[in-house]
Amino acid sequence: MSYLVPILIVALFAFASFKRVNVYNSFVDGAKQSIPTAVAIFPYLFATFLMVNALRASGVSALIVDFVSPPFQLVGIPKQVLELLLIRPFSGSGSLAILSDVYNTYGTDSYVGNCASVIMGSSETVFYISAVYFSQTRVKRLGWAIPIALFCNLAGGILACILCRFL
Amino acid sequence: MNAIWTTLVIICFALLTATNPNSVLTLCVESGKQAVDYTFQLVAIYALWQGVFCVAERCNLVEKLAKILSKLNNFLYGNVSKQAQKYLALNMASNVVGVGNASTPSAIEAIKLMEGGQKLSRGGAMLFVLNACGLQLVPTTVIGLRATFGSQNPSQILWPTIVCTLFSLILGVFLTNIAYPKKAQSSNL
Repeated sequence: MSYLVPILIVALFAFASFKRVNVYNSFVDGAKQSIPTAVAIFPYLFATFLMVNALRASGVSALIVDFVSPPFQLVGIPKQVLELLLIRPFSGSGSLAILSDVYNTYGTDSYVGNCASVIMGSSETVFYISAVYFSQTRVKRLGWAIPIALFCNLAGGILACILCRFL
Repeated sequence: MNAIWTTLVIICFALLTATNPNSVLTLCVESGKQAVDYTFQLVAIYALWQGVFCVAERCNLVEKLAKILSKLNNFLYGNVSKQAQKYLALNMASNVVGVGNASTPSAIEAIKLMEGGQKLSRGGAMLFVLNACGLQLVPTTVIGLRATFGSQNPSQILWPTIVCTLFSLILGVFLTNIAYPKKAQSSNL
């Protein structure tokens, strides 16, 4: 697996030289666009990090977890991974921090550790992606896109907690 | 997003001000620093991949890739322009290869081309849902982190993770298909 990406890049550059494409100029031209792309994302990143940090520092996320844990425990999601499930849609680095906390407290190979791992691996930062993707369009009415994505991630999380019982 | 963000920030800041007023500004500045750090990481990652993609584009490989994936893309995104199809194919390829964040620049370009109006179209919705349901199957970051934390078997979560990702992916495609039906073939494309 670790060979795949380097081989692809080497093969691409070799093929491009063979086709008499100026690899150096093309690479630089493409790389140039990275700064505007990343800079356009920056304010959304800032706003998201601010909210996630405030949620954790003020203890509000812990309150929400306490409040919503009974129904989630009914569908088989342990309370310890709920905070992960809550922060995950907003921030990748925030949820990685929570995952590390879970590993430290319960161990990586415990049921809770496995659940948290699978949830982290199979879900995505829904709100972050929506901010980034739609930041450069004029779209105002998103319809059901975000609820669908959240629901699918949650469904994946429930399945994760079921599957981990068999590990 | 506006309602969620504003409500949560007001509540959290009010609580923090009541318990520990000094922490509020520190938290804001810390978040800003995190965002700056992360943005620079993104610049580096995007520079590499946009550079590589540009090389691929100039030797017409992206066009070929788009042709190979055209059936799948047509099924997923409906009728979109040639240029958008190229970015959609790139997005699909970088997700399948599993390089974190490489899929974002192509997704942004594709969505810019597909979304002209104020109402989200099927193509944009599908692209968003696919990426937000984890088109990226192999959880390299999590497996790495498990190894760092001394797991006996870091990759034992691989199969459940792939099953869960596929499950939410298929569910996502299914629901998006219902919520954003394909338009009848339009002639002005």
